[in-house]
Amino acid sequence: MTNLTTSINPSLWWLTVPFIIILFIALRAVNLKINQSILKSLTNPVFLSIGIIALLLVNLKLPYSQFASHSQLLSWLLEPAIVALALPLYQQFMHVRKNLLLIVATCSIGIVNATLVAFVLSILFAVPSQLSASVAALSVTTPITLLVTDSLGGISSLAAAMVIFIGLLGALFGFILLKLVKIYNFEAQGIAIGTACHAIGTAAAIAEHPKIGAFSSVAMALSALLTAVIVPLLYPILVNTLL
Amino acid sequence: MKYLLSSAIILLCLAISKFIMHLLDASFPAPLLAMVLLLTLLLLGIVKEHQLAPCASPILNVMPIFFIPAGVGFIEHLGLIKSHWPFLTAVILLVPLSSLILVASLVGYFKGRANND
Repeated sequence: MTNLTTSINPSLWWLTVPFIIILFIALRAVNLKINQSILKSLTNPVFLSIGIIALLLVNLKLPYSQFASHSQLLSWLLEPAIVALALPLYQQFMHVRKNLLLIVATCSIGIVNATLVAFVLSILFAVPSQLSASVAALSVTTPITLLVTDSLGGISSLAAAMVIFIGLLGALFGFILLKLVKIYNFEAQGIAIGTACHAIGTAAAIAEHPKIGAFSSVAMALSALLTAVIVPLLYPILVNTLL
Repeated sequence: MKYLLSSAIILLCLAISKFIMHLLDASFPAPLLAMVLLLTLLLLGIVKEHQLAPCASPILNVMPIFFIPAGVGFIEHLGLIKSHWPFLTAVILLVPLSSLILVASLVGYFKGRANND
């Protein structure tokens, strides 16, 4: 009873990668059929895939270590995929050269703010340093969070789950909040959503208005680069000066 | 041939970055350095968009699949999550809330707050 893994044929573990791929493709196909913005955000295929697999592993008492070692091929491919992010980054660069300084400056301030707010909260709640490092790089797309959090000594998988939650919140309530504080400018809305709520927020921004979506894409791409540079430098400074 | 060239560019940038990080013995993630290196090569015109696209576009299209295994890893830390849920909830709410208002207000200050369509 305590170890169900023994009752599962070890030769079935090779199905891990095909299962993840089929599950994701099926969920993405369903998500693409949905036009309603809130429902589209809630049925985010990454969010649902992670949730369904986590539920399966926990309920069937399957060890995560086995799952991780049998899905290593996918984790390995994440590295070249991050390098390939240079392509959309370059394409967005070409579009916004005129406003580049403003976007870089505001994105940087947004990233510093996110790290600072998370750090102050970790002091207020007196959490262990591993947890504090896990929330230092949340204002960015998931693959970058995984790498940066890992390099800071945090729990990258926890950071990834939180990034997805933040994206969902941004997609569901971001525009309501911005309208509440009376900011209707498309550029301001797009840059804010792209910086704070990355890909999931950007998908909602595209649905809101193509122009907001374009600015959000640019901010998201730049945030990926800026987070990779700023957070690994800023976090040790905060630890050394405020702790 | 175009797929070979495109994948070779990506893997070469990754290999060079891993080598540099190994030499420097630094903790900065090598794939991120490789991304910056490739972006620099694109901006300088040494690598062209059409040379990179054949492999880069499909890999980016399916990229979310690659971070699902890592994302599932949070189940290893359920105890930590249970004991610190007020902190984690505060972070999930306050980090995007403050960043959204701050960034939108800053851009609004320079570009105006009204709809500019």
